[in-house]
Amino acid sequence: MSKSRLAKNSIAMTGVVIVALYLLSIAVSFFWLPFDPVAMDVEHLLEAPSLATGHLFGTDEFGRDILARIMKGSTISLVISLCATALGSVVGVLMGIWAGYLGGRWDHWIMRVADVLFSFPSLLLAIFVMAILGEKTFNVVFAIGIVYIPQFARISRGAILTIKSSEFVRAARSNGAGSSFILFRHLLPNILVPLIVQVSLSLSVAILLESSLSFLGLGVQPPAPSWGNMLSGARKVMVLAPWTAIYPGLAISFLVLGFNLLGDGLRDILDPRLRNVR
Amino acid sequence: MSAESILRVEGLRTEFHTESGLVKAVNDISFELARGETLGLVGESGCGKSVTNLSILRLVQSPPGKIAGGKVLFEALDGSRRDLLAVSEEEVRVLRGKNISMIFQDPLTSLNPVLRVGVQIAEAIQLHHGLRKREARAKSIEMMRLIGMPDPERRVDDYPHQFSGGMRQRVMIAMALSCKPDILIADEPTTALDVTIQAQILDLIKSLSARDATAVIMITHDLGVVAGMCDSICVMYAGRIVEKATVDDLFHDPLHPYTKGLLASIPRVDAAASAEGSQRLYSIPGAPPSLVGMSDCCPFHPRCESAMGICRSRLPPETVHAGKGPRSVSCWLHAKEGR
Repeated sequence: MSKSRLAKNSIAMTGVVIVALYLLSIAVSFFWLPFDPVAMDVEHLLEAPSLATGHLFGTDEFGRDILARIMKGSTISLVISLCATALGSVVGVLMGIWAGYLGGRWDHWIMRVADVLFSFPSLLLAIFVMAILGEKTFNVVFAIGIVYIPQFARISRGAILTIKSSEFVRAARSNGAGSSFILFRHLLPNILVPLIVQVSLSLSVAILLESSLSFLGLGVQPPAPSWGNMLSGARKVMVLAPWTAIYPGLAISFLVLGFNLLGDGLRDILDPRLRNVR
Repeated sequence: MSAESILRVEGLRTEFHTESGLVKAVNDISFELARGETLGLVGESGCGKSVTNLSILRLVQSPPGKIAGGKVLFEALDGSRRDLLAVSEEEVRVLRGKNISMIFQDPLTSLNPVLRVGVQIAEAIQLHHGLRKREARAKSIEMMRLIGMPDPERRVDDYPHQFSGGMRQRVMIAMALSCKPDILIADEPTTALDVTIQAQILDLIKSLSARDATAVIMITHDLGVVAGMCDSICVMYAGRIVEKATVDDLFHDPLHPYTKGLLASIPRVDAAASAEGSQRLYSIPGAPPSLVGMSDCCPFHPRCESAMGICRSRLPPETVHAGKGPRSVSCWLHAKEGR
């Protein structure tokens, strides 16, 4: 049912295709890369893209193949983005649904903590967390995850508030259901639509955040390739060799675009107000 | 508590703390339900019918609601007796759906839109008896067949929006009766349905409750429903029970002026066909009183045609009255003492 609606929605399908292309390149990168992404090659510094040399996207200031680095970097970017979103959504949703369901003091304190986290710009908060935890690749997951917790908490709390006084909740209680049964069996499935959309949009923001942190030198540490630290390296040689900046930049833009299209499309597909009668 | 009594409510009081003051939604209500009996709870909107029944299962939302006093004595089949207002929340939870279950007014909103009806019907059994998925499904199909659902094997996997209003209410009944409860509380089960379906739903409740000897509390504002379904009736007004009687006594010889008014305001087909066919339908003058800050007087006196001086100053006591069955009335016209 929803499969066919996905296929009919061209926005969502475009998003699906873009994300699928990245997943394909990750899969390929495990078995085959055009060049070693970290090996320096002093004979081919800053070479322009050409078919003849085999460097399709050119080479950087150390002579490393940019295509190989982008492919290798996509694994790191996507894994960090997925883990961070998973962390932020699970913790945030759990906090939010309990806050919304219990109300009262619990709600008050959980949401005040979320407000404090919300008052920082997300990049600043991520930098702050990285400064505390130290500059390790895996800590980027925590940094971005913590940025996401209040966002998911707010969305899920609001959604729970609108449905927790529904008749069917009362009916479930009159059937002898306890609080966690009502929360996870009855309420959570009802708020999945806004959460799925938020997850999809969060994945794209996580890509941007990870790139920003790596660009600032706080995220993925060189020589390991990441789109962010590739851009950072390209900054100095951008005028001489624009391909060093263009291709990692395009890689980021397209994946963000893909996730955003997917999110927008999913919202159209899953929003019951826009849904046709079957 | 008499031998065959299963539920006795004594002096139940439920209050709501609102911005405009304390609302005594249920004010000193007592009644008794016998095993297998069908009791009607009748009254205008807002007179406390639903709150009374939510209080019995402790489902009143708190805050703002609070059960301020009284007892709800439930006697299980094994003879053990408990005050549902005094035991722990967990103990009440175990009773809900298993011993006492409810049907709500609006079948559209009482079913979870994202869960298959089969899952919802089996919910109470799963909660109380811990069935496996396959057993629960089989039980759901059995219940759906019982409530007269065509093609239950296929429809068990459908979602609520794929059912008509009447079928949804049948599903609600299947949910409520899945554990064979001792008491079924039906809160205006036919109000949201159209007239042709109403009779079917009432028949279904009647036959299924007779089959398992389930006691029923039928909340309604429709005296026609009561006449067809119930053994005895409690008439409620402004949070109090003003008259209790068997159906025969109440319809043939109403005592309380409010009950008389209610009966007089039923449109009658035979009266309309008589000589003075175009006479206007009777309605009780005035409107129900606000429940905020009620004073010690008969709550009905501003609308009562036979109000006396004492009605404005003192609450009428509950007076036992002679009838075919047990009956009582709270009205100074029939009080034996204190006038």
